[in-house]
Amino acid sequence: MNLDKVLSNLYKNYGENPGKMLVHTGTAGWILSCAAQLMAIWTNDKIPPEQKTFLIPQELGDGLINILSFYILTSSVKNLSSKAVLNGKIANKAIRKYLEKHNLTDKIGKIDFNIKKTEHFGDIKEDFNAFKNGVDVIASTAGSILSCNIVTPILRNEYAAKQQVAANNVLAQKKENEKTPYNRFTMKDYQSILRHPGMRI
Amino acid sequence: MAVSAIKNTANRVQQAFYNVMPNFVAGKKADKFYKTSGREISSAENRLILGVTALMSQPFIDFYNRKIDEDTRRVAVCRTVAKIIAGTLTGYAVRKGTIKGMQMCSQLPGNGVPRWKTLFTPKDVKKIDTDEFKQYQNALGTYISLGVMVFTNFLIDAPLTKFLTNKFNEKVVEKKSGGTK
Repeated sequence: MNLDKVLSNLYKNYGENPGKMLVHTGTAGWILSCAAQLMAIWTNDKIPPEQKTFLIPQELGDGLINILSFYILTSSVKNLSSKAVLNGKIANKAIRKYLEKHNLTDKIGKIDFNIKKTEHFGDIKEDFNAFKNGVDVIASTAGSILSCNIVTPILRNEYAAKQQVAANNVLAQKKENEKTPYNRFTMKDYQSILRHPGMRI
Repeated sequence: MAVSAIKNTANRVQQAFYNVMPNFVAGKKADKFYKTSGREISSAENRLILGVTALMSQPFIDFYNRKIDEDTRRVAVCRTVAKIIAGTLTGYAVRKGTIKGMQMCSQLPGNGVPRWKTLFTPKDVKKIDTDEFKQYQNALGTYISLGVMVFTNFLIDAPLTKFLTNKFNEKVVEKKSGGTK
Protein backbone atom coordinates (compact mmCIF):
# COMPACT_ATOMS: atom_id res chain seq x y z
CA MET A 1 0.00 0.00 0.00
CA ASN A 2 1.54 3.34 -0.99
CA LEU A 3 1.44 6.61 0.95
CA ASP A 4 -1.26 8.15 -1.29
CA LYS A 5 -3.67 5.32 -0.57
CA VAL A 6 -2.97 5.54 3.17
CA LEU A 7 -3.59 9.31 3.16
CA SER A 8 -6.79 8.98 1.08
CA ASN A 9 -8.09 6.29 3.45
CA LEU A 10 -7.35 8.47 6.47
CA TYR A 11 -9.17 11.38 4.82
CA LYS A 12 -12.21 9.25 3.96
CA ASN A 13 -12.35 7.51 7.35
CA TYR A 14 -11.74 10.40 9.71
CA GLY A 15 -12.55 13.53 7.69
CA GLU A 16 -16.20 13.30 8.67
CA ASN A 17 -15.73 11.35 11.86
CA PRO A 18 -13.46 12.95 14.47
CA GLY A 19 -15.08 10.96 17.30
CA LYS A 20 -14.07 7.68 15.64
CA MET A 21 -10.53 9.03 15.27
CA LEU A 22 -10.34 9.80 19.01
CA VAL A 23 -11.46 6.25 19.89
CA HIS A 24 -9.07 4.58 17.41
CA THR A 25 -6.00 6.68 18.23
CA GLY A 26 -6.76 6.43 21.96
CA THR A 27 -6.86 2.63 21.75
CA ALA A 28 -3.69 2.56 19.64
CA GLY A 29 -2.06 4.84 22.23
CA TRP A 30 -2.94 2.45 25.07
CA ILE A 31 -1.60 -0.53 23.07
CA LEU A 32 1.69 1.26 22.39
CA SER A 33 1.97 2.41 25.99
CA CYS A 34 1.44 -1.17 27.22
CA ALA A 35 4.00 -2.45 24.69
CA ALA A 36 6.51 0.18 25.87
CA GLN A 37 6.04 -0.84 29.52
CA LEU A 38 6.51 -4.51 28.61
CA MET A 39 9.63 -3.72 26.59
CA ALA A 40 11.01 -1.67 29.50
CA ILE A 41 10.68 -4.66 31.85
CA TRP A 42 11.87 -7.22 29.30
CA THR A 43 15.03 -5.29 28.39
CA ASN A 44 15.89 -4.20 31.96
CA ASP A 45 19.00 -6.16 32.98
CA LYS A 46 18.64 -5.08 36.61
CA ILE A 47 15.45 -7.12 37.01
CA PRO A 48 16.25 -10.80 37.74
CA PRO A 49 14.58 -13.36 35.37
CA GLU A 50 12.42 -14.86 38.15
CA GLN A 51 10.96 -11.39 38.87
CA LYS A 52 10.36 -10.83 35.16
CA THR A 53 8.16 -13.95 35.05
CA PHE A 54 5.90 -12.18 37.55
CA LEU A 55 6.21 -8.56 36.35
CA ILE A 56 5.54 -9.25 32.65
CA PRO A 57 2.16 -11.01 33.17
CA GLN A 58 1.26 -8.31 35.73
CA GLU A 59 1.98 -5.52 33.25
CA LEU A 60 0.17 -7.46 30.52
CA GLY A 61 -2.92 -7.79 32.73
CA ASP A 62 -2.78 -4.11 33.60
CA GLY A 63 -2.42 -3.19 29.93
CA LEU A 64 -5.32 -5.42 28.88
CA ILE A 65 -7.57 -3.81 31.51
CA ASN A 66 -6.61 -0.35 30.20
CA ILE A 67 -7.09 -1.22 26.54
CA LEU A 68 -10.37 -3.15 26.90
CA SER A 69 -11.94 -0.71 29.34
CA PHE A 70 -11.00 2.24 27.12
CA TYR A 71 -12.17 0.67 23.87
CA ILE A 72 -15.40 -0.90 25.14
CA LEU A 73 -16.59 2.07 27.21
CA THR A 74 -15.48 4.89 24.94
CA SER A 75 -16.73 3.32 21.74
CA SER A 76 -20.07 2.34 23.38
CA VAL A 77 -20.74 5.87 24.64
CA LYS A 78 -19.65 7.33 21.29
CA ASN A 79 -21.76 4.87 19.22
CA LEU A 80 -24.90 5.35 21.33
CA SER A 81 -24.64 9.14 21.04
CA SER A 82 -23.79 8.98 17.36
CA LYS A 83 -26.85 6.81 16.64
CA ALA A 84 -28.99 9.12 18.77
CA VAL A 85 -28.08 11.98 16.41
CA LEU A 86 -28.67 9.81 13.33
CA ASN A 87 -32.15 8.80 14.52
CA GLY A 88 -33.06 12.32 15.67
CA LYS A 89 -33.14 11.72 19.44
CA ILE A 90 -30.39 14.31 19.85
CA ALA A 91 -30.83 17.23 17.46
CA ASN A 92 -30.48 20.95 17.06
CA LYS A 93 -33.31 23.27 16.02
CA ALA A 94 -32.44 23.09 12.32
CA ILE A 95 -32.48 19.27 12.32
CA ARG A 96 -35.77 19.17 14.27
CA LYS A 97 -37.31 21.64 11.83
CA TYR A 98 -36.14 19.47 8.92
CA LEU A 99 -37.77 16.38 10.48
CA GLU A 100 -41.04 18.24 11.06
CA LYS A 101 -41.07 19.71 7.56
CA HIS A 102 -40.72 16.28 5.96
CA ASN A 103 -43.13 14.50 8.35
CA LEU A 104 -40.42 12.32 9.85
CA THR A 105 -41.08 13.03 13.54
CA ASP A 106 -42.78 9.63 14.09
CA LYS A 107 -39.48 7.94 13.17
CA ILE A 108 -37.44 9.74 15.81
CA GLY A 109 -35.64 7.27 18.09
CA LYS A 110 -36.13 4.21 15.84
CA ILE A 111 -32.78 2.42 15.51
CA ASP A 112 -33.32 1.65 11.82
CA PHE A 113 -33.96 5.33 11.04
CA ASN A 114 -31.04 7.31 9.64
CA ILE A 115 -31.46 11.00 8.80
CA LYS A 116 -28.51 10.76 6.40
CA LYS A 117 -30.52 8.36 4.22
CA THR A 118 -33.58 10.59 3.94
CA GLU A 119 -34.51 12.05 0.56
CA HIS A 120 -33.75 15.73 1.19
CA PHE A 121 -30.72 15.28 3.43
CA GLY A 122 -28.70 17.65 1.22
CA ASP A 123 -30.76 20.55 2.65
CA ILE A 124 -29.17 20.19 6.09
CA LYS A 125 -26.04 18.16 5.33
CA GLU A 126 -23.50 20.76 6.44
CA ASP A 127 -25.34 21.76 9.60
CA PHE A 128 -26.06 18.12 10.48
CA ASN A 129 -22.44 16.98 9.99
CA ALA A 130 -21.03 19.84 12.07
CA PHE A 131 -23.50 19.10 14.88
CA LYS A 132 -22.91 15.33 14.75
CA ASN A 133 -19.12 15.77 14.81
CA GLY A 134 -19.49 17.89 17.94
CA VAL A 135 -21.71 15.32 19.68
CA ASP A 136 -19.28 12.53 18.69
CA VAL A 137 -16.27 14.42 20.07
CA ILE A 138 -18.03 15.31 23.34
CA ALA A 139 -19.29 11.71 23.73
CA SER A 140 -15.83 10.24 23.01
CA THR A 141 -14.26 12.63 25.51
CA ALA A 142 -16.91 11.80 28.14
CA GLY A 143 -16.45 8.06 27.46
CA SER A 144 -12.70 8.29 27.82
CA ILE A 145 -13.00 10.28 31.07
CA LEU A 146 -15.33 7.58 32.42
CA SER A 147 -13.07 4.73 31.37
CA CYS A 148 -9.57 6.20 31.96
CA ASN A 149 -10.27 8.19 35.10
CA ILE A 150 -12.90 6.20 36.95
CA VAL A 151 -13.43 2.60 35.79
CA THR A 152 -9.83 1.70 34.89
CA PRO A 153 -8.20 2.98 38.13
CA ILE A 154 -10.76 1.07 40.21
CA LEU A 155 -10.27 -2.17 38.23
CA ARG A 156 -6.50 -1.69 38.20
CA ASN A 157 -6.37 -1.20 41.97
CA GLU A 158 -8.41 -4.38 42.49
CA TYR A 159 -6.07 -6.28 40.18
CA ALA A 160 -2.91 -4.79 41.71
CA ALA A 161 -4.08 -5.58 45.27
CA LYS A 162 -4.64 -9.23 44.28
CA GLN A 163 -1.24 -9.32 42.59
CA GLN A 164 0.40 -7.82 45.69
CA VAL A 165 -1.17 -10.47 47.95
CA ALA A 166 0.00 -13.22 45.56
CA ALA A 167 3.51 -11.72 45.40
CA ASN A 168 3.72 -11.44 49.20
CA ASN A 169 2.65 -15.07 49.56
CA VAL A 170 5.37 -16.19 47.13
CA LEU A 171 7.94 -14.07 48.99
CA ALA A 172 6.87 -15.44 52.39
CA GLN A 173 7.03 -19.01 51.07
CA LYS A 174 10.51 -18.37 49.67
CA LYS A 175 11.73 -16.98 53.01
CA GLU A 176 10.23 -19.97 54.80
CA ASN A 177 12.05 -22.37 52.46
CA GLU A 178 15.33 -20.57 53.06
CA LYS A 179 14.89 -20.86 56.83
CA THR A 180 14.01 -24.58 56.88
CA PRO A 181 17.52 -26.17 56.92
CA TYR A 182 18.53 -24.12 59.96
CA ASN A 183 15.31 -24.23 61.92
CA ARG A 184 14.30 -27.85 61.60
CA PHE A 185 16.61 -30.13 63.51
CA THR A 186 15.22 -33.60 62.99
CA MET A 187 15.80 -36.81 64.93
CA LYS A 188 17.73 -38.16 61.94
CA ASP A 189 20.16 -35.18 62.11
CA TYR A 190 20.62 -35.75 65.83
CA GLN A 191 21.40 -39.46 65.34
CA SER A 192 23.83 -38.59 62.56
CA ILE A 193 25.73 -36.27 64.90
CA LEU A 194 25.86 -38.93 67.60
CA ARG A 195 27.42 -41.35 65.11
CA HIS A 196 30.39 -38.97 64.71
CA PRO A 197 31.94 -38.74 68.22
CA GLY A 198 34.71 -36.38 67.15
CA MET A 199 32.18 -33.67 66.39
CA ARG A 200 31.47 -31.14 69.10
CA ILE A 201 28.05 -29.74 69.56
CA MET B 1 -27.91 -18.25 13.56
CA ALA B 2 -26.27 -17.42 16.90
CA VAL B 3 -24.83 -14.21 15.41
CA SER B 4 -28.22 -13.00 14.21
CA ALA B 5 -29.77 -13.84 17.60
CA ILE B 6 -27.07 -11.75 19.34
CA LYS B 7 -27.61 -8.94 16.83
CA ASN B 8 -31.38 -9.00 17.39
CA THR B 9 -30.95 -8.89 21.16
CA ALA B 10 -28.43 -6.02 20.86
CA ASN B 11 -30.88 -4.13 18.64
CA ARG B 12 -33.73 -4.70 21.10
CA VAL B 13 -31.57 -3.45 24.00
CA GLN B 14 -30.56 -0.38 21.99
CA GLN B 15 -34.17 0.30 21.01
CA ALA B 16 -35.23 0.04 24.66
CA PHE B 17 -32.48 2.54 25.53
CA TYR B 18 -33.68 5.04 22.90
CA ASN B 19 -37.31 4.53 24.01
CA VAL B 20 -36.53 5.69 27.53
CA MET B 21 -34.06 8.36 26.47
CA PRO B 22 -35.75 11.78 26.39
CA ASN B 23 -35.59 13.83 23.18
CA PHE B 24 -32.92 16.50 23.33
CA VAL B 25 -33.09 19.56 21.13
CA ALA B 26 -30.01 21.75 21.53
CA GLY B 27 -30.68 25.46 21.91
CA LYS B 28 -28.59 28.12 20.23
CA LYS B 29 -25.80 28.09 22.85
CA ALA B 30 -25.60 24.29 23.09
CA ASP B 31 -25.60 24.00 19.29
CA LYS B 32 -22.69 26.46 19.08
CA PHE B 33 -20.86 24.58 21.85
CA TYR B 34 -21.20 21.23 20.03
CA LYS B 35 -20.15 22.64 16.67
CA THR B 36 -17.13 24.45 18.13
CA SER B 37 -16.11 21.32 20.06
CA GLY B 38 -16.33 19.18 16.93
CA ARG B 39 -14.19 21.65 15.02
CA GLU B 40 -11.65 22.64 17.67
CA ILE B 41 -11.12 19.65 19.99
CA SER B 42 -8.36 17.57 18.50
CA SER B 43 -6.65 14.68 20.25
CA ALA B 44 -4.29 17.19 21.93
CA GLU B 45 -7.12 19.07 23.66
CA ASN B 46 -8.76 15.72 24.40
CA ARG B 47 -5.55 14.60 26.18
CA LEU B 48 -5.48 17.85 28.17
CA ILE B 49 -9.11 17.42 29.28
CA LEU B 50 -8.38 13.80 30.24
CA GLY B 51 -5.34 14.91 32.26
CA VAL B 52 -7.18 17.63 34.17
CA THR B 53 -10.12 15.36 35.00
CA ALA B 54 -7.70 12.57 35.91
CA LEU B 55 -6.13 14.85 38.54
CA MET B 56 -9.59 15.36 40.00
CA SER B 57 -10.42 11.66 40.29
CA GLN B 58 -7.51 9.19 40.20
CA PRO B 59 -5.52 10.36 43.27
CA PHE B 60 -8.69 10.07 45.38
CA ILE B 61 -9.41 6.56 44.07
CA ASP B 62 -5.86 5.55 45.06
CA PHE B 63 -6.09 7.36 48.40
CA TYR B 64 -9.27 5.51 49.41
CA ASN B 65 -7.99 2.10 48.27
CA ARG B 66 -8.08 0.34 51.65
CA LYS B 67 -6.75 -2.93 50.26
CA ILE B 68 -3.15 -1.79 50.53
CA ASP B 69 -1.10 -0.53 53.47
CA GLU B 70 -0.65 3.17 54.20
CA ASP B 71 2.92 3.47 52.91
CA THR B 72 2.14 1.80 49.60
CA ARG B 73 -0.97 3.96 49.29
CA ARG B 74 1.03 7.14 49.83
CA VAL B 75 3.55 6.19 47.15
CA ALA B 76 0.70 5.12 44.82
CA VAL B 77 -0.99 8.54 45.16
CA CYS B 78 2.31 10.37 44.55
CA ARG B 79 3.07 8.17 41.55
CA THR B 80 -0.42 8.65 40.10
CA VAL B 81 -0.20 12.46 40.36
CA ALA B 82 3.32 12.43 38.88
CA LYS B 83 2.28 10.08 36.08
CA ILE B 84 -0.72 12.24 35.18
CA ILE B 85 1.32 15.47 35.13
CA ALA B 86 4.19 13.96 33.12
CA GLY B 87 1.86 12.07 30.75
CA THR B 88 -0.44 15.02 30.15
CA LEU B 89 2.36 17.54 29.52
CA THR B 90 4.24 15.24 27.14
CA GLY B 91 1.09 13.88 25.48
CA TYR B 92 -0.35 17.34 24.86
CA ALA B 93 2.93 18.84 23.59
CA VAL B 94 3.73 15.93 21.26
CA ARG B 95 0.20 15.74 19.80
CA LYS B 96 -0.04 19.51 19.35
CA GLY B 97 3.40 19.58 17.72
CA THR B 98 2.75 16.77 15.26
CA ILE B 99 -0.68 18.18 14.33
CA LYS B 100 0.92 21.59 13.65
CA GLY B 101 3.60 19.81 11.63
CA MET B 102 0.99 18.00 9.55
CA GLN B 103 -0.87 21.26 8.94
CA MET B 104 2.36 22.67 7.53
CA CYS B 105 3.04 19.61 5.38
CA SER B 106 -0.44 19.16 3.91
CA GLN B 107 -1.07 22.22 1.74
CA LEU B 108 -2.38 22.34 -1.79
CA PRO B 109 0.29 22.24 -4.51
CA GLY B 110 0.69 25.52 -6.36
CA ASN B 111 3.10 28.24 -7.41
CA GLY B 112 5.62 29.05 -4.69
CA VAL B 113 4.57 26.11 -2.50
CA PRO B 114 7.61 23.91 -1.83
CA ARG B 115 7.21 20.15 -2.33
CA TRP B 116 7.73 19.30 1.35
CA LYS B 117 4.66 21.39 2.17
CA THR B 118 2.48 19.07 0.05
CA LEU B 119 4.03 15.83 1.26
CA PHE B 120 0.93 14.68 3.19
CA THR B 121 -1.80 16.18 0.98
CA PRO B 122 -4.00 13.39 -0.44
CA LYS B 123 -3.97 13.53 -4.26
CA ASP B 124 -7.78 13.61 -4.61
CA VAL B 125 -8.25 16.68 -2.36
CA LYS B 126 -8.99 19.98 -4.11
CA LYS B 127 -10.01 22.14 -1.14
CA ILE B 128 -8.28 22.34 2.23
CA ASP B 129 -10.18 25.05 4.12
CA THR B 130 -12.91 22.59 5.14
CA ASP B 131 -13.78 20.93 8.45
CA GLU B 132 -13.18 17.51 6.89
CA PHE B 133 -9.64 18.43 5.91
CA LYS B 134 -8.92 19.85 9.38
CA GLN B 135 -10.11 16.56 10.91
CA TYR B 136 -7.87 14.68 8.49
CA GLN B 137 -4.86 16.77 9.58
CA ASN B 138 -5.75 16.10 13.22
CA ALA B 139 -6.00 12.36 12.58
CA LEU B 140 -2.73 12.19 10.65
CA GLY B 141 -0.92 14.29 13.26
CA THR B 142 -2.29 12.10 16.05
CA TYR B 143 -1.18 8.86 14.37
CA ILE B 144 2.31 10.29 13.87
CA SER B 145 2.37 11.46 17.49
CA LEU B 146 1.79 7.85 18.57
CA GLY B 147 5.05 6.89 16.84
CA VAL B 148 6.86 9.83 18.47
CA MET B 149 5.47 8.89 21.87
CA VAL B 150 7.06 5.43 21.69
CA PHE B 151 10.34 7.30 22.24
CA THR B 152 9.12 10.11 24.51
CA ASN B 153 7.57 7.47 26.82
CA PHE B 154 11.11 6.31 27.63
CA LEU B 155 12.98 9.57 27.24
CA ILE B 156 10.64 12.04 28.96
CA ASP B 157 7.61 10.37 30.59
CA ALA B 158 9.36 7.69 32.61
CA PRO B 159 12.22 9.83 34.05
CA LEU B 160 9.90 12.79 34.71
CA THR B 161 7.39 10.49 36.47
CA LYS B 162 10.18 9.05 38.62
CA PHE B 163 11.54 12.52 39.47
CA LEU B 164 8.11 13.95 40.36
CA THR B 165 7.11 10.84 42.36
CA ASN B 166 10.22 11.16 44.53
CA LYS B 167 9.68 14.92 44.97
CA PHE B 168 6.02 14.49 45.99
CA ASN B 169 6.84 11.58 48.26
CA GLU B 170 9.60 13.56 50.00
CA LYS B 171 7.18 16.46 50.53
CA VAL B 172 4.49 14.20 52.00
CA VAL B 173 6.94 12.43 54.34
CA GLU B 174 8.37 15.81 55.40
CA LYS B 175 4.90 17.19 56.10
CA LYS B 176 3.91 14.08 58.03
CA SER B 177 6.95 14.24 60.25
CA GLY B 178 6.13 17.84 61.16
CA GLY B 179 8.44 19.65 58.76
CA THR B 180 11.65 17.90 59.79
CA LYS B 181 12.99 15.06 57.74
